[in-house]
Amino acid sequence: MSIAANTVNSDGSFLWKRPHFISNPLLRYGLLVFSVVYLMYAFGTLEINFSRVMRGIPRAMQIFSGAIPPDFTSRGSLIVTGFIESIQITILSTTVGVLLSIPFGFMAARNITILPVYWVGRAIIIVARSLHPVVLGVLFVKAVGFGAFAGILTLIIYTLGFVGKLIAEAVEEIKYGQIEAIRATGAGYFTILIYAVFPQIMPRLIGLSMYQLDINLRASTVIGLVGAGGIGNTLNSAFGRYDYGTASAILLIMIGIILIAETVSGKLRRFTR
Amino acid sequence: MLEIKDLVKSYGDGQPVLKGLNFSTGDKKLTAVIGSSGAGKSTMLRCINRLVTADSGEILLDGVDMLKLRGKELQYARRKIGMIFQAYNLVDRLTVMENVLSGRLGYVPFLKGALRKFPQEDIDRAYQLLKRVGLSQYVNKRSDELSGGERQRVGVARALMQNPQILLADEPTASLDPKTSERIMELIARLTDELHLPVLINLHNVAQAKHYAARIVGLRDGVMVFDGKPDELTDEHLELIYTGKDELNEQLHPEGESEE
Repeated sequence: MSIAANTVNSDGSFLWKRPHFISNPLLRYGLLVFSVVYLMYAFGTLEINFSRVMRGIPRAMQIFSGAIPPDFTSRGSLIVTGFIESIQITILSTTVGVLLSIPFGFMAARNITILPVYWVGRAIIIVARSLHPVVLGVLFVKAVGFGAFAGILTLIIYTLGFVGKLIAEAVEEIKYGQIEAIRATGAGYFTILIYAVFPQIMPRLIGLSMYQLDINLRASTVIGLVGAGGIGNTLNSAFGRYDYGTASAILLIMIGIILIAETVSGKLRRFTR
Repeated sequence: MLEIKDLVKSYGDGQPVLKGLNFSTGDKKLTAVIGSSGAGKSTMLRCINRLVTADSGEILLDGVDMLKLRGKELQYARRKIGMIFQAYNLVDRLTVMENVLSGRLGYVPFLKGALRKFPQEDIDRAYQLLKRVGLSQYVNKRSDELSGGERQRVGVARALMQNPQILLADEPTASLDPKTSERIMELIARLTDELHLPVLINLHNVAQAKHYAARIVGLRDGVMVFDGKPDELTDEHLELIYTGKDELNEQLHPEGESEE
């Protein structure tokens, strides 16, 4: 069909049409009709109820009026300890997670490992990536109890999945000639990793660690909501007490800290390039 | 003493690149290997230190068959073979000194190497080699800050750092401009003469091969079609080596280069 469109007319003009993204017309229009029908069906089952929305508005107003002005002082020490704990969770889990993701990332790089090791490395990283930190947090809270330890374990796994995968990709992109040169000197396997592979991924690794620090700081506040320690816990109990003043104070500080972290990590990443 | 017997190597299911190659050298002199692209020059060199593994045949280095070695034994054998690469293959983000010292990695234990704790005599020798190739002022410079010619000089120093018994050079000057290329060839020739080393060097440039080599070997489609002294290499031989290949004219009438 797309060939038929590209024909030379009798007067010599060339008939051109942009080829369709999906060339089979049956599939193309079928998919379109299916999507429209499904969207209509899904919308119909949602029961979006206008009167419910209207009734919700005064309740929202109540929360917002309670949140203004934010109350930094009456639970001040709780807020401070909560944030300190979150930052500790972040730094510990990022450090341990990045250190762990180096060996697993190397294992999952096809160009420097044998196939069985590659599959093991890949499998570990896929499992670590498949669960969202909130789900992991729930699991670890059940396993080791409420508190920062559950949070640290959660974020270590989260870091391992993300950084491990990206390290594996970085290793797969290195220049192989440098490996050959070090191998030709008679160096052993691990020496080759240290001399020819590691230097090539070092800038990526530092950049990733900075980025992950930033991501983990955000995630540490979220997993606190499911009981895995840190400021998220404090925020959750403030909501539980209908203490919207304290809650909004926490949210404001959170935004501030994350803005600072983002700026700093962005600067650091640019520095290592 | 290097002896290659009936060496066969093919990549994947394709035509073999080397079809029963025989070659031997014990001379502590420079042997140039010439041939068109795809003739098997690179493969031959890489088979010797097992960067690629040949399908069959023998590669005897001082009587030991390289093809039968594994693990530690292979590593120890590789230490005796220095290699210089076309693309230099320095580790970009390491310093010049680290790159030269990496020639000792087959000798130092893993942790010492990883922590850069090389024996003092290695450091002294590395410095001397850097001085010899004229780069001692760049000891702590990162190697990706060097020019192509400078990088290849570091590559030469790294290969010699191994204290090799034979030196392989895979088109060491092909990525360089003509003038730098001559200088690197002169350096390799002079150093190998000083150090009394047999050298096997793949060259693209026949004029260079004739000038620097004591012996020239011509490969075509994975077999040796010429083996002799440079002055024995005639235009007929060149045609035998290059006929039907695009490079024939280039080699018979080199342009832009002063023929001596």
